[in-house]
Amino acid sequence: MRDVIEGGDLQSTYNSHVKRIVVGLIVFVVLGFAGKKLLAPKSFGVYGHYRADAIEEAAAVDIRHGTNASCLSCHAFEAKIHLSGQHRTISCEFCHGTYADHAKDGKKIGTLPVKQNEEINTLCLRCHNRAIQARPEEVIKTIIMPAHLEDQKVKTTHFCNQCHHVHAPLRYINRAKRIVGIQETG
Amino acid sequence: MEQPESIFSGDRRQFIKKVLKGTIGGSLLLVLPAGAGNLEVPEQITGIRNRPWELSEQNFAFIVDITRCIGCGSCCVADKREFNVPDGHYRTWVERYLKDFDDAVYVDSPKGGLDGYQKPRTDIKKKIRDTFFVPKLCNMCQEPSCVQVCPVGATYRSPDGFVLVDSDRCVGCAYCIQACPYSARFLHPVTRTAEKCTWCYHRVRRGLLPACVSVCPTGARKFGDLNDPESEVTQILKGPGVITVLKKEMGNWPALYYKGLRREVV
Repeated sequence: MRDVIEGGDLQSTYNSHVKRIVVGLIVFVVLGFAGKKLLAPKSFGVYGHYRADAIEEAAAVDIRHGTNASCLSCHAFEAKIHLSGQHRTISCEFCHGTYADHAKDGKKIGTLPVKQNEEINTLCLRCHNRAIQARPEEVIKTIIMPAHLEDQKVKTTHFCNQCHHVHAPLRYINRAKRIVGIQETG
Repeated sequence: MEQPESIFSGDRRQFIKKVLKGTIGGSLLLVLPAGAGNLEVPEQITGIRNRPWELSEQNFAFIVDITRCIGCGSCCVADKREFNVPDGHYRTWVERYLKDFDDAVYVDSPKGGLDGYQKPRTDIKKKIRDTFFVPKLCNMCQEPSCVQVCPVGATYRSPDGFVLVDSDRCVGCAYCIQACPYSARFLHPVTRTAEKCTWCYHRVRRGLLPACVSVCPTGARKFGDLNDPESEVTQILKGPGVITVLKKEMGNWPALYYKGLRREVV
């Protein structure tokens, strides 16, 4: 009984512990906000938990590959042949190298390699090798390498580009057929 | 009396040379088409350049057509060159699948298909029933696991649907590499930050197709705007072909679709 009465009467006026907690909380909140403001990068959290500026930075990365149109706008002679043949869908840059290594601001800055001899065969067989069975026949014409040369009755040391124009593979062959055809009929 | 120094008093031959060079050079400049400024490359994805890029209104899709892939590796080469990808790491790669009559599946990908597939597999004695190539790249998930696990907000899904990496923020903890169900990520050996395929975000923003799509000779890789009802990807997705995504049960909702995919592919 005594405890209850005393508890009701004796309201403590000693409240420094409350002050301490409140001041502590305020300091924590202020420091927290200031720390976040100072340490979090600018634009962090605009769209989500990341730096919004990073999107524009990702978009500003330099392009290294052009398109076939960018190559052929200068190389008009090659364009005429390349666009006339079956190989028109092949990227110039795949065989020759990137636009960024060759031209900058409309000026030539480097020479791109032209594949030759054995490199040509390796390059052709990347796509046209029938030994790799996964290639759908309706998408690409394939051959077995020494057998193809034997079938065509040429030396087995021949490189592909001795019969096939690399940009328009049937260019010479169709021309030869046309000439032979004229002779046969006429 | 001292004559004043004049350009004419020097070597006469030098003077004539200079005049000739100037004349020829000047006339050549008039004759040759001056490639001034940046070369204008025609837009490959229509309607990107002539309007501002609204982050919240973009909807792109990538389709890989398995029935047209010939495994030439053009895409891998283009990708390596576009981003100077270090040796032994791949942002995109091509896998070769072989399936025998007992439905056993053999997968290989020598150098990620970077050198193409020059040789058939000779180590399999069984008769092969089905064989095909599967190009792989970032799936650009709507619910990306990699973003969920990143502790520093370095990898994020931009409002336009591209999952990108902020290499300034990345601390190289490699959580995302473990989290990605498609193994599309790697740690760059020099910068020690996570890297992955971005669907060539920098090219798309300039109206160009991703490098791998641009170089694909058979059209096995398609990229386009789903907001455009006339775009090729919209037509394919509307069409009757078998269209699937990889690991649908993971719930990542990829924006990368595969056409003609076999169910063995993971």
